[in-house]
Amino acid sequence: MSLLESLGKVQIFTGLERDEVERVAALCQQRAFRKGDIIVREGETSQELFVIGEGMVEISLTTPAASTPLINLGKGQVFGEMTLVDRGARSATVTVLNDDTVLLAIPHDAFLELCESDNHIGFIVMRNLAAEMSLRLRYHNIAGAMFASE
Amino acid sequence: MIYRVSYMVRGKVRGQTHPGLVRNEDRAPAVGEQVELAGDFFAVTEVQELIPPQGGFSFLHATCEWVPDRVPAN
Repeated sequence: MSLLESLGKVQIFTGLERDEVERVAALCQQRAFRKGDIIVREGETSQELFVIGEGMVEISLTTPAASTPLINLGKGQVFGEMTLVDRGARSATVTVLNDDTVLLAIPHDAFLELCESDNHIGFIVMRNLAAEMSLRLRYHNIAGAMFASE
Repeated sequence: MIYRVSYMVRGKVRGQTHPGLVRNEDRAPAVGEQVELAGDFFAVTEVQELIPPQGGFSFLHATCEWVPDRVPAN
C-alpha cells in the first residue's frame, strides 16, 4: 500500500483533498520496528505524531510497581497526538507488540506549521483530532461502566 | 467504508484484565463472530455505534469475551 493510500485510511486525515494528503505525506518518515521496541516513554518530551501503518502497539502507564497496559492500537490508529495539541510530556509509554510493525512519524513542528499555513488542512485535522478525543472519552465511559459492573 | 472498531474484553484473560484494542477493519464485526486480537480469540457479544458515520468512517464499539479453547493456526 502506498503512503497516500495508508494516510487515506487514517481518521484524522479524512476530509482532506488529495493534494492536501500529499502535503502531509511529504512530512512523514516511515520506520520499521520489532516486537519489544519502545517508541515513546511516559514523561519524555519527544515531538512526533505517529500513524500505525502495519502491526500493533501497546499503550501503557508505568508505576513504581508495574507497567499497566491501557489499550492496544492497530492499523490506521494514531498516537502522540496529545503532545501535538497540549505540548505536554508524553502521557504514556508505547511499546511495539508485533515484528514488522511500520509506523509513519510526523514531526510536530512541521505538522503544526502546515496546519497554520493552510487553514483548510488545519481545520480538518484539528476537527478530526477533537473527534478522536471524543471517541476515546466515550470508550473510557463504556469501559468504566463495564468494569464497575463486574 | 472503513470501520474504526474499539474492542473491549469482558472478564479476565489468563487471570488478567485485557487492555482491549482499537484498529481499522474492512467490515463491521457481528455479534457471535470470533475475532483475533493480538494472538487470542474473542467472541463478540455486543456491537454499538459510538458516533454517527462520517467521512467514510464508521465508529463502532465491540464487547467481547475470551475464547480460551481456540488458538491461532500459526
